[in-house]
Amino acid sequence: MNIRTRSSQIWYFLMFGFLLLSSFIMLVPYLWMVLSSLKGNLEIIRSTDLLPHKVTFEGYKTVFQDAPFMHWLWNSIVTSTAITIVTVFTSALAGYIFAKFRFRGKQVLFIVILATMMIPTQILMIPSYLIIFKLGLINNLLALIIPSLISAFGIFLARQAIDELPYDLMESARMDGAGEFYTFLRIILPLVRPMLSALAIFTFMAAWNNYVWPLIVLNDTEKMTLPLALVFFNGAHVRNFNIIMSASVLVMIPVLVVFLIFQKQFIKGLSMTGFK
Amino acid sequence: MGPWRGDRLSQHTKELRFVIYSLTPILLLFLVFLIIPIFWGIQLSFFQYDPLASSSPLIWFDNYVRMWKDPIFVKSFLNTFKYVFIAVPANIVITLAFAGMISRVRSARWRNFFRTCFFLPAIAPLSASALIWSTMLRSGGDGLFNMLLDKMGQAKVGWLTDGNTAMISIILMTLWADIAYNIIIFMAGLDAIPKLFYEAAEIDGANAFQRFRHITLPLLQRTTLFVFTMTVISYFQMFPQFQIMTRGGPKNETLVMALNIYNNAFSYSRMGYASAMATVLLIIILVISLIQIRVGRTQWEY
Repeated sequence: MNIRTRSSQIWYFLMFGFLLLSSFIMLVPYLWMVLSSLKGNLEIIRSTDLLPHKVTFEGYKTVFQDAPFMHWLWNSIVTSTAITIVTVFTSALAGYIFAKFRFRGKQVLFIVILATMMIPTQILMIPSYLIIFKLGLINNLLALIIPSLISAFGIFLARQAIDELPYDLMESARMDGAGEFYTFLRIILPLVRPMLSALAIFTFMAAWNNYVWPLIVLNDTEKMTLPLALVFFNGAHVRNFNIIMSASVLVMIPVLVVFLIFQKQFIKGLSMTGFK
Repeated sequence: MGPWRGDRLSQHTKELRFVIYSLTPILLLFLVFLIIPIFWGIQLSFFQYDPLASSSPLIWFDNYVRMWKDPIFVKSFLNTFKYVFIAVPANIVITLAFAGMISRVRSARWRNFFRTCFFLPAIAPLSASALIWSTMLRSGGDGLFNMLLDKMGQAKVGWLTDGNTAMISIILMTLWADIAYNIIIFMAGLDAIPKLFYEAAEIDGANAFQRFRHITLPLLQRTTLFVFTMTVISYFQMFPQFQIMTRGGPKNETLVMALNIYNNAFSYSRMGYASAMATVLLIIILVISLIQIRVGRTQWEY
């Protein structure tokens, strides 16, 4: 079919080599993190070599001794899981309603919800902080959870996916006497599972990695989530950065595992968003 | 006819009830945590608001007048534009190039491998990435970059402590952490272009550059516009790496608006002033979004 000339073959190998090199460069910071985390507390202070002279787990030990690491991990797991479950549910429900129901003001509501995606965090964070303060939720994990239970992006994604389902599905469910909520839960949701899992991964990652909002509403060390705690912990160990790198490795592992398991859905979901 | 009509009415009522019961709590959350804060934030910008002070007088546009006389704000304003103007075009060129190269790789397994390598930085918390990069960029001999310079017989550089290199260092870190998303979206965009176009062009004798210029670029316009706008909007608000890697230093060389707003609001508790700066940021982002919608529409009419 395609006759490949010699020169195009050479170009292909050059490109391939360049991609290999670039991929390696992309991985260098991780390599640096792992190698530094294996250096000793004394070695790190005047290390001028990439490789550790002697591999030790001192850094990791210090993390577990000096810091409530399991506490932080737990805080992250609880908040991210709660946010993900509820946000996927509210997004699917609102997306379903915007896709399949008719009521006055629907278009305007939907446009207002979409428009909130353009609003910068900086304008929201001061009033949001004041609201959380008035609710007495400063230093409470609920301060992270409650404002994140809805997602304009999620509603948009859900509406796109549910819009494509035929109306007959709902009609026949109603004929059979199914309630509206039952129809949504048992008939609509199973049909948009790929969208739901993509949305779940996005939401989980965003919640897990969030830094600004926890920084504003949490100041009690015990209450912190991992990304914030890591920076806080860094303040105490600037010179012995093997300890921070050990903590970073520990923070990275859960995200890495989630990503490698759900990579396909993740990439597919991301590709969906490019086509508004 | 009577009962039949009644049946339809009750079906309609049932649907309406479902809509109201489901949507009310969701819209309430939107109202409290998105809609009200926007207006409240704009309102605060007209006050000299400090949560610790006993009174917060209405000062109308004083905050807005004051900020342009405040050299730190002006510096942060210029730094933000400098950051966006360098990092966004660099991001678009790099991601488009890599998307093109990766999608040209023939073996699906290698394609996946490359995509995963480029994607790994994007899944890490930005705060962790910022910490890793600050250790790589340490100004002593114990940072990776200076180790490499030393091996090449070059003098050490104070990557994050020297005003000339600090911003560039943070831009490098941002690009590393952030290019994955755009690569994936560009790859999807490239995927959607029918292979037939390229084959036809090849038969007509078009070279690689001509194919890129006359097929890829025009057909990728919508994707590029989308990617461009999203990247600009997100880079205007970039915060963690500035706060973690340099705290805006040295001598405010890397102080961006997002960090300046945070400092004013939560370190100096000048919330009215910070809200005025945030409103300026809001206006910048709204203008960019409107331009995007405008440009998108005119392209549609072609």
